[in-house]
Amino acid sequence: MNIGSRELTSGRALRSKLLLFVLLLAFWIVLTASLALHELVMGAVCAAFVGTLTVALLGRALDPCITPAVLLRLPVFMVRLVWEIIKANIDVAKIIIDPRLPIDPRIVEYRTYLPGDLPRTVFSDSITLTPGTVTVELEGDVLNVHCLCPYHEEGLAGLEALVAWLFGVKGMSQGEEDG
Amino acid sequence: MARDIVAGVFCCIGTLFFILGTTGLLRMPDLFTRLHPSTKCDTLGACSVILGMAVHNGWSWDLLKLVFIACFLLLSSATCGHAIGRSALRRNIPYWKKKEVTEDGHGA
Repeated sequence: MNIGSRELTSGRALRSKLLLFVLLLAFWIVLTASLALHELVMGAVCAAFVGTLTVALLGRALDPCITPAVLLRLPVFMVRLVWEIIKANIDVAKIIIDPRLPIDPRIVEYRTYLPGDLPRTVFSDSITLTPGTVTVELEGDVLNVHCLCPYHEEGLAGLEALVAWLFGVKGMSQGEEDG
Repeated sequence: MARDIVAGVFCCIGTLFFILGTTGLLRMPDLFTRLHPSTKCDTLGACSVILGMAVHNGWSWDLLKLVFIACFLLLSSATCGHAIGRSALRRNIPYWKKKEVTEDGHGA
């Protein structure tokens, strides 16, 4: 439409490409386990090549949800998620070794307010990894969650808030309208 | 020496969770409920073994590689569980329900 917004989007695209390049280079450095100059140059060439291929194949460098702020919050998110996973495992383990096998499974529908594909994907993956819940279907903003016991359903809202915090989603109508 | 012991403890915990996961896989009644032990206990088991290896190895570049392995494991395990559940749901495979039985033995 107007020039200002186009410049904004192209600036955003450039930043997204740069971020992808930095991420790929960091991954290269971890894999080669060295900071020697020739390794870094080779890594930069490879990162640029893979980045270009990614843009050519997907039409964009990174999901617009991925920003440096999100990446900074990611380790904290991972630690909290791992803590949830440990609790989930102990809970499920207790059910498994109980001779009566006290399960009462059901499939519940859960409507999420998270916008965009990536936050929803992260949310459903987190659900699968935490207490007695597995996401079996994700269609639009409705998730079908298979719960092992009825009380497992109660943990979903807290998890949703955690993912919303990761992506900096404030409330219901935060996302930009498309089109 | 102390490091070996800690690493061994983590690996043992991991193995324990693998055993629990397998037990759950055998005891659960249907596909959906079997997804639970296989996506959870196995993930923690593998992560615990990886943690044990990380402790054994100490601070080095390999530690970061192990962290990457754990991350990819978490991602792929959750995605696999989701894919299996989704295809089962799409094929309308009925899921196991607890039988509603009242106190005096009559079905509800």
